[in-house]
Amino acid sequence: MRINGVHIDDTFAEAFPMKATRLIITAMTLKWAYRAANSLTGFASSVIACGCEADIERELLPEETPDGRPGIAVIIFAMSRKQLVEQVRRRVGQSVMTTATSACFAGSRSDDVIPLGKSLRYFGDGYQISKKVNGVRYWRIPVMHGEFLCEDTTGVVPAIGGGNFLVMAKTSRHGLAACERAVVAIRAVHGAVTTFPGGIVGSGSKVGSKYRFMPASTNEVFCPTLKGQVTSLLSAEVGSVLEIVIDGLNEAAIREAMCAGIRAVCKFGPGKGIYRIGAGNYGGKLGPFHFHLWDILN
Amino acid sequence: MKPLILTLRRNDHGRIDVSPLTPDKLHGMNRDAVAAIRLQCGRRRVRVDTLFEITGRGARRVEIRRSTDQLFRIGFRMRSGTLEVRGHAGDNLGERMEGGEIRVRGDAGEWVGASMGGGLIDVSGCVGHRIGAALPGQLTGMKDGLILIAGDAGDRAGERMRAGTIVVLGNSGPWLAHRMAAGTIIVMGRSGAHAGIGMKRGTILMGRKPLLPPVGFRAAGTLKMEFLRLLFKQLGGTRTSMAMFRGFGPEAIRLAGDLTAGGKGEILILLNARAGAAT
Repeated sequence: MRINGVHIDDTFAEAFPMKATRLIITAMTLKWAYRAANSLTGFASSVIACGCEADIERELLPEETPDGRPGIAVIIFAMSRKQLVEQVRRRVGQSVMTTATSACFAGSRSDDVIPLGKSLRYFGDGYQISKKVNGVRYWRIPVMHGEFLCEDTTGVVPAIGGGNFLVMAKTSRHGLAACERAVVAIRAVHGAVTTFPGGIVGSGSKVGSKYRFMPASTNEVFCPTLKGQVTSLLSAEVGSVLEIVIDGLNEAAIREAMCAGIRAVCKFGPGKGIYRIGAGNYGGKLGPFHFHLWDILN
Repeated sequence: MKPLILTLRRNDHGRIDVSPLTPDKLHGMNRDAVAAIRLQCGRRRVRVDTLFEITGRGARRVEIRRSTDQLFRIGFRMRSGTLEVRGHAGDNLGERMEGGEIRVRGDAGEWVGASMGGGLIDVSGCVGHRIGAALPGQLTGMKDGLILIAGDAGDRAGERMRAGTIVVLGNSGPWLAHRMAAGTIIVMGRSGAHAGIGMKRGTILMGRKPLLPPVGFRAAGTLKMEFLRLLFKQLGGTRTSMAMFRGFGPEAIRLAGDLTAGGKGEILILLNARAGAAT
């Protein structure tokens, strides 16, 4: 398959099941909501070493937030419910509660819930106040800027991590230009996020390593500098491979995000240094969800 | 689905206990079964069709028309559905209610929502004493749910209340939130004397300054209470009559108390309530 002269590999992206929750962070201004959200989603690129994957989903208008202030929706993904509980507690406690004027609410509803304010309320040292409004419990935790308002629990939903595609370009400069456009296109899809810095992975990995203590290592068959040294999957003209990894709340969101991202990249074409689109296919070792590129683009 | 309509005939029977006539109890019953229900009228038990004209069959929605204050215990222990009362309601409206919605197009008597555990009571007129309060012999009043009163409320609203929300758009009598354990009471008009006496936790929101300063409370000054934004936004979407709350800001004078009962309760006197109401 070719789109605008860019070759699309007949392969699939391999993804795995995760647990996720969406949080809504509000503050006095959008700038301060962003500060809290950026801090919460910092160092959350991959579950390999960060404990979770997280990113900003979108900005929210005051009409869309529970307290009528500007807000940001973030999604946090983890490999298990237990990990998610721990990451939410740490990140909301250290990144959101510490941000001046912030508040934090559940952004996903589900029968399966994990503590949010329920575990952070102890910071109030006995002065915290519980309030139930329209059947939802909130915690008012007195802090030095006033009160930190936090919903009691947040819903956990099954999710998918690791939807991806590889962009094979002439140089990193060409690849980045196209991938930046792809990330903008993916951001328009609700329920899908790109958790790596800028939404782009510069060091895509394979499962396992020659070293026993490494769960993942460099994907040598896609490393341009190893051409000639290993059985490379890159042609002579490819000088840089960038990966876009997408986590989503469901398969449909990942499909839509992959489609939007790949089409945005393909608009550049070989004339602007984009030659080929591939995907992280690990022979079924990584996970049960397979996103076939040709199916998605058809 | 069409509602079950019960229209009160001329009432010569005095006070009628209508506690069996809730949507959840009547749902699925045919007309004859509804007609055969016997209601307590003083010392006698009288068939429903003797007291009411019946239209339709048991449904999730029940309307009581031409209601008077002689009908008491309307919506007793109700769990689901909608109960609409056209006219006045007697005492104990929504007593121990667990869910569903009661709407009254008129006034209601005493003990509205007493010891209720959930659901919504919306009264377009005024109500008597002890709304959301503990029933005689019980230690806790309202435990959850929402009571909206468009008019005035009597004495001791929210006495021993444990949780939930009471909104009174008019004035309230004395002893508001007496010995309140937790929950939220909003009074947009004047509050009577002794508000918050003995309250352990919980919030009283006042739209106007009380005539007498509350005893046992200490001022924390004028503050922006961000929680109020959330409360007002959520309440504003509940009912058309509550839309006024959307215009309110979070600025309030905070009084902490009752200091003789632990001091974890609060009275918040809204600073811009009247301006908000105007918008």
